[in-house]
Amino acid sequence: MVNDDGQLYTIEGFAAGMIMLFTAYLVLGATSVYTPGDTHISDMQLEQLGTDALRMMNTPVNSTTDSPLQNITETSVNNPADAKKTFNMTFLNYVNNKTGSETDNLHYSAIVSYRNITDGNTTWSYPLASNRNLTGGEHPVRVTEWVIVDNKIGSNVKQNRSVLVEVLLWRD
Amino acid sequence: MTDDAGNLSIDFLAGFTIFMIAFIYVATMIPGLFINLQSKSIDYDAVAYRTGVILVEDPGMPYNPSWATLTDYNKGDILRFGLALSKNTPNILSPIKIDRFFCSTAFVYPDDYQSRAVFGDYPYQFNVSFQRMGDNITKSVGDPRPDGYGYSRRIVKIKEESNATMGFSGSLNQGYTQNATTQLFSVYFNYTQLTGEGPDNNNPAYQINPLSPLSEGVVINLTDLDKIPKNTTPLPIANLSSISFYRSRSLSAQSAQHSGFSFFPVNLTDTDPTRTYKLYIDGNSTPTTTLPMEVKNNVSLILPPGFLNFAGSGDASTWLNITMQFDLTDGLGNHKSDYFLNSTQVPPYGAFEYNYTSSNITQPHLSDGVLEVAVW
Repeated sequence: MVNDDGQLYTIEGFAAGMIMLFTAYLVLGATSVYTPGDTHISDMQLEQLGTDALRMMNTPVNSTTDSPLQNITETSVNNPADAKKTFNMTFLNYVNNKTGSETDNLHYSAIVSYRNITDGNTTWSYPLASNRNLTGGEHPVRVTEWVIVDNKIGSNVKQNRSVLVEVLLWRD
Repeated sequence: MTDDAGNLSIDFLAGFTIFMIAFIYVATMIPGLFINLQSKSIDYDAVAYRTGVILVEDPGMPYNPSWATLTDYNKGDILRFGLALSKNTPNILSPIKIDRFFCSTAFVYPDDYQSRAVFGDYPYQFNVSFQRMGDNITKSVGDPRPDGYGYSRRIVKIKEESNATMGFSGSLNQGYTQNATTQLFSVYFNYTQLTGEGPDNNNPAYQINPLSPLSEGVVINLTDLDKIPKNTTPLPIANLSSISFYRSRSLSAQSAQHSGFSFFPVNLTDTDPTRTYKLYIDGNSTPTTTLPMEVKNNVSLILPPGFLNFAGSGDASTWLNITMQFDLTDGLGNHKSDYFLNSTQVPPYGAFEYNYTSSNITQPHLSDGVLEVAVW
């Protein structure tokens, strides 16, 4: 006796195939939740470099002097041109230097933010220096360093204040 | 009897074929999903980053005494390389550790570095390079870099050791107006003060530390010795006859009391560089190994890293006195009395004190450098 018990029909195989393809489509679509690894590593390297540069600029050369970054930030209040020139030279020297004779070619834009206690504790900021303007097409990373300064920035009296130096750093 | 039980139908074959084609297509698609998560370049970048962090932010293991002071014979005791001064001073490197790390006679690439800095089971190839900013000399270990590699660059500072330069063309020569044939010039180290009263709250970056694990070296330069006024003609010949080391330490029974200064021998030709000193006279590039030696203009006494720790036996209560004895003679080798160096009247110890306040001492300072790690 011939019957069709246990047989798989064409339409069922086709349906199974479609289900698998649809599942694969969903899985592929779900990969967008993962951060693309290469971009992340590249950003991390820039962040590390910028963080190192600001930290080293905020380290005094010897026990009797202030750090270069403190001097620059204090100067930026009364003489922004000098501060910009010094920051530009020092920061680029740090981030572009490599072992060997080649150098890197990074761009940055730096601002200083502080709490203004003469204006209701609002946060103010002003540009410190930059070697290129951001146009919107770049992919910059953000690095910051707290700096203790001893002047009247955001205050009526000369006193130790912490201000935030923030740098956007990118590579062409 | 013939029947068709167990035969495959055309429907089943068609359906099974479609199923298998779809299954194979999906199966081949799966590995592509993980390309971004498992690529080798990411792995190499991560290893380069980890190696950079270990080298720049870690003082290494063993820490005290530092791995950098272990001899080549005992290099097996080194568990991990690390160039930082201490765990509290990331990015500030010890020049002693840098020199030791890049010493090609002490460590073999890649085995010694793989197990102490790069780590991991995979046999990575790598290149670690270091350069002081403004300098064109690059220290490097490893293979030349290929086209693609994992990379990490760290900006660092290097602690430059202190040195004392006493020039006798100016004010320093005013006090030496005592006629004598034998004259003594002493330098004094108070370990308690050096290790306990360093600047910036005893920050290791600015401290003159005579004890392990840092145990820095110092340089003492006496210059313009020919400018010291003389009382007789013809001018006497100055000879550096000996360099003697004396130490005093707190008494075990009464820790507030110090022992008297006692002489301890130092062999100028000792093969262990941490147990001897180097002496250069009149700018000669070859160190002097025998005394007495005639001195015309200058003397450089170099106490290498680790020597002050050896001289104090690691005891922070040590007072160390280094005395140079000069004998004046005429041209025939007879003793002759005249002015020269004599620090025995310098208060309070009859010696120049090597401390944080003397204007003759260049204090420790930090210079810039860059360290790169490439892994492939």
